[in-house]
Amino acid sequence: MPHLADALAFARWLTGSRVDAEDVVQEACLKAYAGIETYAGGNPRAWLLTIVRNVSYTWLAKNRPRALVVAGDLADLDELTAGKETGTDDPETPEAALIAKADAVALEAAISNLPHPFREVVVLRDINGLAYREIAAMLGVPLGTVMSRLSRARGLLMSELGSER
Amino acid sequence: MSEQNGLPTSQTDLQLLLHALADGELDAATGLAIERRMEGDPALVAEYARILALRTAISSLPRPEVSDAFKARIAVLTDGAKAAERPTEQRFGSFDWRAMAASILVTAVVASGGTYWATSRGAQNSFVGEMASAQQRSLLAASPVDVASSDRHTVKPWLDARIGMSPPTMDLSKDGYVLLGGRVEVIGNRPVPALVYQLRKHLITLIAEPRETGSEPVPVAKDLSMGGFSLIHWTEGAFSYWAISDISSSELQDFVTRFRAAAAAA
Repeated sequence: MPHLADALAFARWLTGSRVDAEDVVQEACLKAYAGIETYAGGNPRAWLLTIVRNVSYTWLAKNRPRALVVAGDLADLDELTAGKETGTDDPETPEAALIAKADAVALEAAISNLPHPFREVVVLRDINGLAYREIAAMLGVPLGTVMSRLSRARGLLMSELGSER
Repeated sequence: MSEQNGLPTSQTDLQLLLHALADGELDAATGLAIERRMEGDPALVAEYARILALRTAISSLPRPEVSDAFKARIAVLTDGAKAAERPTEQRFGSFDWRAMAASILVTAVVASGGTYWATSRGAQNSFVGEMASAQQRSLLAASPVDVASSDRHTVKPWLDARIGMSPPTMDLSKDGYVLLGGRVEVIGNRPVPALVYQLRKHLITLIAEPRETGSEPVPVAKDLSMGGFSLIHWTEGAFSYWAISDISSSELQDFVTRFRAAAAAA
């Protein structure tokens, strides 16, 4: 099974746990094999990650309903984060050096605290290395939405890391 | 939203482009434009540096190792899934008829081709074998010929009278090949005329089989020597010729050449 490491990393960030990620990827692999006929070409990694994402959210809805931010909350979320962003605009944004020095535990915690719609975009981009277009196709959202979510997600992470000190 | 140098003036949209630049998602023209803008805007430069720093920090996070145990789990799982799906799929519904048809076709071609090859080879071998036996019998028999005559004008009518046909009968005595006579051979249940020549103490039997329509012509004499006999085969006119002897195949080839030259001249 190719792309197993990618699938595992993505599931790990979505579910928040290594053990849960293995269960999710296992189920995703089963689904991938069962649905191999529906694979209509294109990037096989993005295809597998799409399945991992769907399985992850189904799994979360069943086992960790409180951890999941459903689509309906997105508008509120945007307002919330937008406010936060403008609030932390000038003096508190940390220097690049501070971000670079942030320790792995703090960064992981910050990513894990991101709401899912932001978390998945930043993980797909910066951990899995997918292109904007691939992410947009995977999530079924416009390119502009991917860009704004990524920008928000990174903004949140930056201010989070800056407030550690 | 007004634009300047093709760039959005809105701070939020400019932010998106900074991220896109860091991710290598901008075309060269837009990338150049935003770099120009950054030259006069330290805030943008600082933001860009933060984005790059964050990207580096995230990508250097430890990634979960794919343990061998997990790999094995997935391998077993997917093998199991494949094994479980296959029989039901093949038994019901999605049976692949094209694959089946292709396999039948291939089998048929291979089988019939093989049969043809085997039977045609067998036929050829048995034909040659029968002629070799005929030559052998003629050597063991009291006389190798049924009609003993060195006169081709005697041999040819005799064959015509017996089996209704006769091959061109050439007098090659001046080349050292003495016509001993003719006989009737039975090859493949059919009577065929045979001429017998003698070179020194050796006998040369020349069997002339009437060619069947559609049979492949062999204009150039073919050396089929086997089983201790020299055998040369060719076709000319209405006959298939088989020259067989215990002389060397090069000597037999010489006989064939002279026979063919004489027949062509006649």
